[in-house]
Parts: sequence; structure tokens; C-alpha cells
Amino acid sequence: MKQTLVITAILAMLAAFALTPTPIYGDPFKKHEVTVPLRFDYYYSYDMVNEALAKLHKAYPRLTKLDLVGKSEEGRSIYCMTVNNPKTGAELEKPGVYVDANIHGNEIQGAEVALYLLDYLLSKYGENEEITRLVDKNCFYVVPVVNVDGRYHFLEDQRPGDNRSLRVPYDDDRDGMVDEDFPDDLDGDGNICRMRIRDPHGRYKTDPQETRLMIPIKPGEKGEWTRLGSEGIDNDGDGQVNEDEEGYLDPNRNFGYEWMPRYIEGGAGDYPLSGVGLKALAQYIRKHPNICMSWALHNSGGMFLRGPSTKTEEEYPAKDIAVYDYLGQQSERIIPGYSYLLSVPAVSSTYGDFTEWMVMINGCYGFVSELYMTEQEQFRTIAENKQAEAIKKIKTSETGGESGYNWDDWDDWTNLGRERLKFNDHVVQGELFKPWKPFKHPTYGDIEIGGWVKLSTRLPAPFMLKEMVHRNAMTIIFSAGNTPEVTMEVFEIQKTGPDLYRIRVRLENRKAIPTMSYHAQQVNLYPKDMLTISGKDIKVVAGGEIRDVYTNDVSYKEYRSEIQFLTIPGFDKVEYQFLVSGTGAVFVSYSSRHAGKISKTVQLK
Amino acid sequence: MRQRKMFTWRAAGLLWLMSLGATSMPMSMWADPQPLGFNAYHSPAEVNKYLETIADANKKITKLHKIAVSPGGRDLYLLEIGPETGQAKKTLPAVFVAANMEGVVPIAAEAALYLAGLLLEQPEVRKDKTWYILPVGNPDAAVRYFQKPLVMDARNNRSYNDDMDDRTDEDGMEDIDDNGIITMMRVKDPEGRWLPLPGEPNLMKQADWSKGEKGIYKLYTEGVDNDNDGQYNEDGPGGIDIGVTFPHLFPFFTTDAGPWALSEDESYNLVKFMCERPEIAMTICFGETNFCLGLPRGDRKSAVDLSRIKVPEDIAREHQLDPNRTYTMAEILEIARKRMPPGAEITEAMVAGFLGLGTVVNPLPEDLKFYNEISQQYKEFLKANKLDNKRLEPAPDKDGSFELWSYYHLGVPTFALDYWTPPALPEESKEPDKEEKALLDFSAKQLNGGGFVPWKPFKHPTMGEVEIGGFVPYIANTPPAPMLDSLLKSQVPWVFELVKKLPFIRIAGTEVKPMGSGLYRVKVWIENSGYLSYPTAMGKRNNRIPPVVVSLTGKNEYKIIEGKKRSLVADIPGHSAKMVQWIIQVETGEPLTVGLEVFTPNAGRDHGEIRLENKTTESGSGGPK
Repeated sequence: MKQTLVITAILAMLAAFALTPTPIYGDPFKKHEVTVPLRFDYYYSYDMVNEALAKLHKAYPRLTKLDLVGKSEEGRSIYCMTVNNPKTGAELEKPGVYVDANIHGNEIQGAEVALYLLDYLLSKYGENEEITRLVDKNCFYVVPVVNVDGRYHFLEDQRPGDNRSLRVPYDDDRDGMVDEDFPDDLDGDGNICRMRIRDPHGRYKTDPQETRLMIPIKPGEKGEWTRLGSEGIDNDGDGQVNEDEEGYLDPNRNFGYEWMPRYIEGGAGDYPLSGVGLKALAQYIRKHPNICMSWALHNSGGMFLRGPSTKTEEEYPAKDIAVYDYLGQQSERIIPGYSYLLSVPAVSSTYGDFTEWMVMINGCYGFVSELYMTEQEQFRTIAENKQAEAIKKIKTSETGGESGYNWDDWDDWTNLGRERLKFNDHVVQGELFKPWKPFKHPTYGDIEIGGWVKLSTRLPAPFMLKEMVHRNAMTIIFSAGNTPEVTMEVFEIQKTGPDLYRIRVRLENRKAIPTMSYHAQQVNLYPKDMLTISGKDIKVVAGGEIRDVYTNDVSYKEYRSEIQFLTIPGFDKVEYQFLVSGTGAVFVSYSSRHAGKISKTVQLK
Repeated sequence: MRQRKMFTWRAAGLLWLMSLGATSMPMSMWADPQPLGFNAYHSPAEVNKYLETIADANKKITKLHKIAVSPGGRDLYLLEIGPETGQAKKTLPAVFVAANMEGVVPIAAEAALYLAGLLLEQPEVRKDKTWYILPVGNPDAAVRYFQKPLVMDARNNRSYNDDMDDRTDEDGMEDIDDNGIITMMRVKDPEGRWLPLPGEPNLMKQADWSKGEKGIYKLYTEGVDNDNDGQYNEDGPGGIDIGVTFPHLFPFFTTDAGPWALSEDESYNLVKFMCERPEIAMTICFGETNFCLGLPRGDRKSAVDLSRIKVPEDIAREHQLDPNRTYTMAEILEIARKRMPPGAEITEAMVAGFLGLGTVVNPLPEDLKFYNEISQQYKEFLKANKLDNKRLEPAPDKDGSFELWSYYHLGVPTFALDYWTPPALPEESKEPDKEEKALLDFSAKQLNGGGFVPWKPFKHPTMGEVEIGGFVPYIANTPPAPMLDSLLKSQVPWVFELVKKLPFIRIAGTEVKPMGSGLYRVKVWIENSGYLSYPTAMGKRNNRIPPVVVSLTGKNEYKIIEGKKRSLVADIPGHSAKMVQWIIQVETGEPLTVGLEVFTPNAGRDHGEIRLENKTTESGSGGPK
């Protein structure tokens, strides 16, 4: 479906808000001209993402399709771009690789990875042999922005809240009014920062090493500050500040597998797939049963997570885990510093998780990528780094943690904060942190506003973006290269009796991902692959799987032996034998939901 | 034959409907619905036609919603009745009645229509409530009762590849003996595990080797192996059983429930409709289950044992608890209370949420109290209506059912009601086959044998010599149509008794005490004058039913020294009151009247005022005297 993408008047309106000239960190309000090949030294606004998709589609009309998946709560369009070469086969007859991003409105950089992946696949097609082969073999489905309202508000609101949620109103403070007390940009600088008040009885004091930071006082010490939370006022006059902002409905807690109500899972809506955009996305995915690999791009922490995503579920079948290990370990190699981990306990249980739904209900292999690590904002000499690594080694062995940071330990936060502030001062010229400034607050009186800005949260500075998008796209490409690739060989036709032929067929999968996941096989998610044999003048007398080709040990199927249901493991083969009578052409065909279709004609002679 | 009888009843029903459809009905026709008579069952199409007719004839007090279209192309109509049908935002509490969610309980749909009739006829019962009535929740399945051959199948018309082969819906049941009814086939087989029940050769029982029994027969549903795969009727048309598609304890990876909870529009749109209507205060579900006769199932194995709670290590460390031992909920509440500021409320829900305890699977003890009491009253009610004869037990509630979702997720008081099962055998039989024997007895005595097709030899195209026979579908939950009218007339009004139990929140009294210097201590008692608590224990546990909001109106004339302008009262048990208080300062020193607003979405609202002046004032009955 072709969509004419419109850059709305909003764009022009927002351009008027241009702030400081040429900021290093990237000005979220600045609109850049979108050109193909795409650039990755700035973040794309929601409109620019759509413009990029439209321009990619215009540049590569033969290989791409732009589908409107659905509309969001606020009426914004959710697009999926497919990359498929129709000359090498129909979309649904190729292994599908699904990539989505930015389901949490504030976790924006996944969309840049998605755009980069598209740009890379399309621009390298015909130039790079590997990519040409990949595009010819697979069909890619890429949804750069799932939470379109979230991305829009995160990047373009003068008064941004958290924007992780879907724009489904919810009465967080249960006072009968809905979404009535947002954080407010009191000083009008385009950021929601933090508020603090000078308080001799406060529990924090100024960090003597880094005066912009506060550290907790030790027993007996005199306090200096009380922290007042996010910038804002008590909009509804209930004595609480910012207690009922947008939502909260977490789109990644509202898919259909192991969905749990809100008293179990914090971000759950009233029921599974509550959210018009989510419902539309689920329906779109269900129309593409060829999808066998799924990537959901989030931030942050530098992790490739696989399920189970809840502690109540059982572990995946061992043979599925072997596939994840193969893909996950290679991904670790592709992106230095990122870890391949299990969702639980790396993060807490997520009920109604999107990727879990892809795995358990749609039979995919699925990863969640947590893009970017704050640790990448390093500011150390080589000697300092050695020292830090040594400390990290001790801490890792003490806590068993992966990162070497103990997030329960305030010192670690303080150390990280001090280093990040130096990074802020000298690498991005102060654009990450707003110095504390006095402000007259209607409730609290004389306070100070300052702290980390919106773009400092879990997002790489644009100059680091290019490497991030490239390496992450390469992990996806590695997995796409490992979707099933099946060849069929009729390796024997032998006359074994008067009017009886033995036909032997070998199906080989040359890649790591099996033609059907072991979980899907276990729970009968959908029909297995089928191998059928037919012919105008033949009769299939018997047929079955060859258990041992040397001893001719065959497990014959009693009924309908002309059709065999099977799956082919990764890097492995299966062999079948048919006993056939008659003459002439024999049509052998294989079809698989995830591995396409193959057919061959052989002659009985 | 029982089959023929049923067709006759239906013909009568059709005539009745035609007489209705001819003209738009004047209200007076509802003066007594009885002469119109519930003496036939009505197909989903007939039900919809009928709903259109009555909605059209009662425009001022009804509204017809089309909430979904089934895969079979059937509209799900939902009738709204009440004084507020014209407005989108309701102020009155609403009662939601869903019927025949299973699709195989024809009497449930009739009961829903009967209820609609009573509501239209009696302004008294509809004056202070909105009623939402969904007579047929699973129309694709419901229509099968009205089709030939007669078959009982709860699945909708969504095509589903049950046997995961290369074809879908290719091997269903057939009426191969052409008697209009799908029954069973028994075939002699060396591997057979069934044998005729000693003393009752029509019934079958599974052989018990430990008793020296040997099986003779294999049992199949009636039909042929359409796709020649060696299996019989393994992939019939359809589908998804709407009755088990709801998100509480959804049965994943079973063939009839669909890929995930609410995957079908019939249930998704129903849940959406209800979630968008916070005025819904009670759900009543007409079907096969009965929460008044028995109780909601309480023996599910829970992941959470509230008497043996382990505290996660990080939380234990922070709160000086022992992560290696177990605590009871009462112990944890006790510990938590000591650490909370005085007056702050700590609830089981908060503890459960904080500790990450799992989902609730059994009715909460506080709620079982009202289920028990109401059950006693229901039995009295049946006795008074001479319906207390012992009958076969209603079906237990199913995982993924609508009624469980309504109680556990929506958190409102939920009552499942069934309207008929055949009489139980008089003697206290403990045999496992007593239900089937009772059915056979009922068939013999009441249906002239029409409820059971005796086994008859039949030449099966692939199996050879078989016998076909067995119970006629629906005999266990569907009374003969002539019994309908009296069953409904005597039982449906119980719904009004249930609705009388609803909580009702109002201001019970106020007290103002001047403290001097323009300060006043204001106390307001908020009362629940209803029987049921607001909310249910489950509604409190799952945080789904919002607190009562008690707010002061006005803005700048006074200052609140203590208390909140919008005060929240989390819960008020039945027939109880809770106090909300403020200290208010009036700087001018002049007497001042401040308005009071009490809001609940589904248990009524109230307003009042308090007079701030230099004398103690009291009003109402709520305050301590």
C-alpha cells in the first residue's frame, strides 16, 4: 500500500522553536532535510521517520513496500516497510525477519537502527554480494516506530513528560480525574529536569568533588538539600506534584501471552491489546505467518535478551536455547560490551511482553535489544581506565553482576555521575546537564531547577549514533542470514520390484534456525512443513521418514503416506522414502511456513 | 422422537415472533409478558429481530448496541435499558447481564429476553439503574441448536486447523444414520476400552482392569473419516469457544480457546465495552454455572499461598525481614502497619503488589462471606417457588470464562446463574455414573425416551459394523420448551433480589466544630447503605474499583489546613460508614457554606454542604452522638 506521506504544518511551526545554534548533542526541535542515503548524525522526529520511509520507498520502489499498519490513539500512522525482491519469490514464501523499535516512546534510538537497517539493505543490494543474497532470500518487515505518539511527544513537546506510555488515559492517583497532573517545564527550557530545595534538615548534601551532584548525608552529618522530584507543579491542587501524568499504559506489557492485570503487572491496560495501535500491529503480524525471527529494539543497558520474560514460565526447550545461544553469542562479538542474557533475571518479569508473544504464540525466535550503555560515556585516562577495570573485576566477582556496577550502591551512582558530568563538560560541551538555577515555585517557594536533560537519558550523543546503528543492524543481519535455508534433493530413484520404485528425498537446512521452533512443535502452534509426492500416473504405496539410510530403516506412515509432516533442524537434514508404483512424472514438493516452497519433477523409468 | 418435538416447539415460537414483528409494539403489551409466552426457543437471528422490535418500540428507555460481528457473520446485539440510555456518561449504577456465552445453553438466552421483558414492563425495577443485556454471547455456536442435524458444539465459525494437517475444517461430524441428531458410534475393537454399564446396557463405562473388566468398544462421535487420515471427526468446522476466551486463567495452547485471550471480536469487544463503562456495578451471567446454588470454585491451586509468603531477598534486607522463612499475610500486615505513619492504610493488595505475589485464583475470604449468605437466600427463594427439588449439579466454572474474568479482573460482584438441569435421582447414589443414569431416567419419564437414541447397528463405510446411539445433545441443560415459561417466571426475578444487594454510597452526616481563630474541624461520615461492600475484596485487591472521592467545592474562600480537597476513601463495607475529616481555615471570619461532593463511578453519588460558623453543628445520622 503506497502512502503519501505529508510533512504537516506542525513541522513548520516547530521549526520556529529553534534553540541554540548547531548544538553538538542534537536539537530535538531542529528539522533536518531527509536525504537518501540516510544520515545518522541526528535523531529523526516522527515526521522525519515517515519522510525517510517515503524517500526510501521512492528510491527503491521495486524492493520496498510501505504498509500502513494502523493508527495510534492520537491518530498518527504506524508504518511497516517491507524489503522483498519479488523476482526471487513472493513475500509470504520467504523467511520473514521482523524488526520493530520505539515501542516505549522515550526509547527512540531503535528507530534509527531500523532506518539504518533499511537504508543499508537497500543501498548495498546489488553492490555487496552477501546483502544481495540476504535480500533475495528473506523478506524484512521493519516498523521503526511502534509508539508513534510517544516518539512525537518525546521529541517535540515543549513540555515533555516521560512519554514511554501509550496515550491511553489512566487515573494513576485514582482521584476520579485522569492525567491531570503532568510534570511541567517551569523554566521553559524545553526540558523536564529536577527540583531541589535548600534544607538544613535535608538528607542530601553537595558532592564535594562535583558540586553539581548531591550525595546522601552520613549519620551525624548536616544536610543541605531535599530533592523534590521532577520539575512541575501541583496542577490539580491535591497536594501532590506530578502524580498523574500521561497514561500509564505500557505497550510492551499488553500483548496476548501471559498478560496479567495491573495489580500484577504495573503497565497493563484493562485487557490484552488495549490500545488501537497495538491491536492493529498484532493483526498485521498475524497476517505474516512467514515471520520466523523477531527483533524488538529498546534501550538501554547493552543487552540482547531472550525469554522467558516471566519467572512463572518454564525455560524454553533445550534445542531452542541452542539456537538462541548461537545467535546471541555472535551478537556479543558484533557489539563489544553488549551481553547476551536471559530476560529474567536480567530484568524483572514482564507479563504481556511483545517478544514473548512473538515467540510463544507466533512461533518466532525473538530477541529484545537494549541499545546503548551509559558506560559508553567514558572519560578516563588509560591508567584511570585500568584502575576502573580492576575495581569492576572485584565488584563483578563480589556481586556476580555483569556490569560491575552495583546499582544499590550510591557511590557507584555518584562515581558514574561524576564521570558523566566530565563527559558532558568536555565531550558534548555541557549539553547533557542543566546547571542548577534558582526558581520561585508556587508551592515550595525558593527552589532550584537543574540536572540531566531529556536527551541524556539512555541515548547516545549523535556522534556516537553511527556506530551504534551499524553494529546493531549487523546483529539483525546475522540472524537474518541464519533463517532457514532449505534445499531439496531427490537422491535416489530405484526400481525395487515389478511396478515398484523407491524414491528418496533429502531436505537440508543450511542455517542455524530450524524450519519450526521446538516450542511451536511442542504446543502444535501451526501445521508442520509438508513434503508431498504426486503424479498423474503414479500411486504412492508407502512413505515415511528414513531413520537410518544404511539399514533402510524407515518409519512408514499408515494413512495418507503421500504427504509427510516434518521439520528440519538447524544445520541438519531429514530424509524420506516413498514406495511408488506407476509411470511417468513424479512431482515432489516441499512447503514450509518459515522456509518457503521447493518443488521438483522426476521421472520413473 | 424428541427431535421432532423440538421442531414443533420452534414452529410455535416462530409464529409468536411473526405476530410480534408485524407492528411496532405499544408499551401496554408489556403489561404482562406472560400471555406472549416463553413457550419456544429462539434462534440468534430471532433474538436479534426481537431485540430490534422492542428497542424500536421503547425508544425512550432503550438503546441497542451492536458490539461485534461473529466470524459467522452474526451480530452480537446488546440491549441497554434504563432512564439514562440517551446519555453517554451515566450517573446511575449499571447491571450487566451476559447470557449464553458458551453458545450451547439455549435457556440462558431465553432468560435474558425474559428479563428484558420484565424490565420494560416494570418501571419500578429500571428506575435507578442502567441495564445492559447481551442475550447471546456466542451466536455462531448458539445457532446450532436450531439447525439440523442437531449437534452441541461451543465453537464459533473461525476456521481452525484442529489436526494441524494440510487442510482446515475438513473432517467434521456427520449424521450418517440420518436421524437428525449427531450421537455416538461404538465399534468393537481389540483395543477398545469401553464396555456397557452392567445393569444399564445403554450406558457405557470405561473398563477398570483392576476390577477384572475388559473393554469391548471404541467410542467415536458420529461421522466418517472425510480426509482418510485414520482419524474420525478430528477437524470439524470452527472454531473458538467464546466461553473460555477471557483473560483470567486463559487456557493457552488448547484447541478451542484461540491463540490468546480475547483473540476473537465477540469477547474482545465485550470486554472493551464493559471496561469503557465504569458504571457497571454488578455482572450476572446466565449460562451453565451457578454461583448462587454452589459457590465460585475455591480449590484452585494457587501460586500464592497467603499463609506461607516468602519475602524476596532484596525487600527482606531493606525491611529487616528474614528471606529464609515464610510469613502469613497477617504477620506481614502487622509488621507493615508498625512502619507506616499513623492513619495510613495498608492493605493486602498493597502487600501483594509490593512483594510481587501472583494472581488471585480463588475467591477472597471476605467475598466468600457474601457468596455464602446470598446462596442461603437463593435456596430460600427457590423453596418459596417450589424449585428446591434436587437436580443435577450445574457445571463448575471454567478457566478463561466470562464470569471469572468479571470477578477477578473487573472486580465487581459477579453471579453466574443456570436455569435448569434434569432432576437428580432420588436415592443418594455415589456411583460415578449417577448423572448419566439420572439423564436416562429423565428421558424415560419426561421425554418418553426422546432424550436417548438407543444403540442401533449401522453399516459404516470404513469401519464396517458399528452401532450408533447415545444421548441427544442438550438434554442435560435444556428443558423441553413447554417448561420454559414457568422456569423463567419463577427464577428470573431472583436477579432483582441480587441487584438489591448493591452498595450505595451517600453522606450519612456531618459535624463542624469551631476551633477558634477561624479554624474549623469538619467531619463527614460516608455511608454504604447497601448490603455488599464497596468494592468487593477482589475489586480492592486488584485496584480496579476506584475509591470513593469526597471533595470540597469552592476555591479561594477557605484554606485547607489538614486533609485533602479531594479525599479518597478506599473502601466501605456493607452497612458501614467511614469518616473523612478536614481542618479548614476561613480567614475572613465570616460564616461560610462549603459544598460537599461524593463520587463513585458505580455505587451512586451524593452531595451536601457544611456550614462553617461559630457554633457546633451536626446533621444526619452518621456521626457519633
